[in-house]
Amino acid sequence: MEELFASLVKDFVDETAPIAQEVGGLLLKLEGVWTAGGDAKPVVRAIRGGLHTIKGNSAMMGLAPIARVAHALEDICAEVGTRQGREQALLSQLLFEGCDLLGVLIQAALVGGVDATSADTFVLRARQAMDGATATPATSDSVEARSHVEAAVPPPAAEPSTVEGEDGRGTARIADRDVDDLLELAGETIVGQTQLARVHGRLARGQFEASDLVLMDQLLTELGRTTREMRHKLLRVRLAPIATLFRRFGRFLRDLARERGQAIELCIEGGDTAVDRAIISRLYEPLVHIVRNAVAHGIESADERTSHGKPAKAQILLSARLREGRVQVCIADDGRGLDLRAIAAKANAQGMDTSALSERDIQRLIFQAGLSTAISVSNLAGRGVGLDVVASVVQSLGGTIDVRGASGRGTVFVLDLPVTVSLQKALIFGVDSETFAIPAGFILDTMESREKNMQSINRVLLVSWRGDFVRAVDAGRLLGCQGLAQAWARPYAIILQAGNKRGALLVDWFSGVQEIVVKPLDACLAACRMVAGATVLAQGRVVPILDCVEVVRRTSVALLPESSSEAKVEASYDVF
Amino acid sequence: MSSEANTEPLLAFADALLASSEREPGRAAGEIRQYVTFFLRDDEIGIPILQCREIVRALAITRVPEAPDHVRGVVNLRGRVLPAVDTRKCLGYDAATPTVRSRLLVVEVAGRAFALLVDRVARILKLAAADITTPPEPAKVRAAIGVARDGESMIYLTDAERILRPEPAAEVQPTRSDEA
Repeated sequence: MEELFASLVKDFVDETAPIAQEVGGLLLKLEGVWTAGGDAKPVVRAIRGGLHTIKGNSAMMGLAPIARVAHALEDICAEVGTRQGREQALLSQLLFEGCDLLGVLIQAALVGGVDATSADTFVLRARQAMDGATATPATSDSVEARSHVEAAVPPPAAEPSTVEGEDGRGTARIADRDVDDLLELAGETIVGQTQLARVHGRLARGQFEASDLVLMDQLLTELGRTTREMRHKLLRVRLAPIATLFRRFGRFLRDLARERGQAIELCIEGGDTAVDRAIISRLYEPLVHIVRNAVAHGIESADERTSHGKPAKAQILLSARLREGRVQVCIADDGRGLDLRAIAAKANAQGMDTSALSERDIQRLIFQAGLSTAISVSNLAGRGVGLDVVASVVQSLGGTIDVRGASGRGTVFVLDLPVTVSLQKALIFGVDSETFAIPAGFILDTMESREKNMQSINRVLLVSWRGDFVRAVDAGRLLGCQGLAQAWARPYAIILQAGNKRGALLVDWFSGVQEIVVKPLDACLAACRMVAGATVLAQGRVVPILDCVEVVRRTSVALLPESSSEAKVEASYDVF
Repeated sequence: MSSEANTEPLLAFADALLASSEREPGRAAGEIRQYVTFFLRDDEIGIPILQCREIVRALAITRVPEAPDHVRGVVNLRGRVLPAVDTRKCLGYDAATPTVRSRLLVVEVAGRAFALLVDRVARILKLAAADITTPPEPAKVRAAIGVARDGESMIYLTDAERILRPEPAAEVQPTRSDEA
């Protein structure tokens, strides 16, 4: 019984949360219509429609507080069009707040904690605002007073990130047509299998005919096609348009711009690009950080902008497009660009020599820990997440991040991501007769490792790479393989970068980068911190996928065995 | 007791049974339950057939760095990656290298699938509640919840969940290697 109810609540949240989000988007649109002029009626009608559905759904689930908030919002909607100026602004602010509250309450239903108090407080405020607005024309004083009251009430939509439920237990919506397609493909597969079974039967009875070989060939080709197509279609089920992510920034930027008294316009391009929902949900935080940074450091004041001959209203562009089977997400602003001299100065202050670095390299320094936070001076940025963390989130999704800036013209962050997390590009390497995979996003370089470009100081093994020293570790030793070969004897080094840390893995062999299907490991292997999943190679062999963040971390503290000379003696015994 | 049963019919039988009676309506006390039995060293151990998905030859097991002691690694079962559990380790025996007779007993517990590595698969046993007695104390096989007799030999009954559950007493109990 309880289970049934839980599943009903889940359905309710799955269905209603997107409506609340949609209403939020419509509110932004309404605000746009008001400022730009135009017919607000169809937008208001759509908003009321959405609210009505939310009210109905939640009343049906016995979630009265949600229904009450939706009802109050409907009332405000009916009024807001008839008001002018300040009154309208006040009511529309309430609409935004109420909509946020709806989002929070709907998600709270999932954990059974719909807070009636915050709902009732809101309903009361809505009623007062409407009465107040009707009875006494709002003077600037009363608005002031009211906004103090508003400030005293904890803002319900503090962290919109809680609105996402994409932890792998989310629900996917599939169009009926797609289900039909999938069923049809499954049917074709079964037919193919039956036909193959018939051929197999003849083969087993020794009645194999020459034509059977051709037939089998055909059947296998056909089966290959249907199964591939089925996989392709199923992968699509995981995808959602990236606009669901981008649209959340409409509200975010509006509030941010208002807070700072700036005029910023959000432009969205390629919103219909389909991306894995797991990626979409994990991209929110990194994008928030980048957008905040753009507003805090990139975008100048209106005066400064006009004096530089730029339009007073700044632009932030979120764009996505498919490129070579991957998604390229750009976050661009037309602000002042990256201050290379300031970045170099910060780096120098930390004891880094930047004289030999190219402009591009200096730009990339912002992804290094310490540096990114050092540059974040305003209270806007610096919420504890540095760009180095952003970079490692992107990497853990199998992607790469880069930045380009032109002084005075703006900054562009480019994220190169896989379309789905279950497909990744990876490099396969071997050590001591075992095979492993490394997500390609972490790989800086591969090289031959010779004794002449390695050295050890106080049991720390270093590989020289592009004039730099990278701490290295024998992959066999790190991963606990049973071989006896020594680090010095491995012919190749793979240079990894995770966040701002670099490390080199010494391996026996590696093969080119290939697409792999990522399979999660059972929870009983959760203690294996260095392994992020597994993949099955063409020959049916299972290969662990390394978690490079952990591998690089371990590399940075790895030491050579107690006495290297002893180890070398052991190795020589092994030869005999 | 026939120990060298051909496992292929057993596999088919198990599959058919699973397909036909995934959810049996309420069991009566005297009702017959079926167990798949396997050997660890010389001990025959049974788990309910309803927990078994299939039995496959010991596939290549890929070691996973830093895996817990009782997990030998992962195997590829038709594209699914399953943990290969060292049943001997789980039940307090010494580890052993797989032989030609070794099998992977694929079980499903709470929606998670595991491959139990066993020395060999023996047979399917039908047991009524009356055939099962409580195991002697201390139980020879850890996690045993019942014992059935077949002539001179004993069959220890447990279930997949108990095999997988880590036992806090694991370190205290001596391994069974000395009793071979």
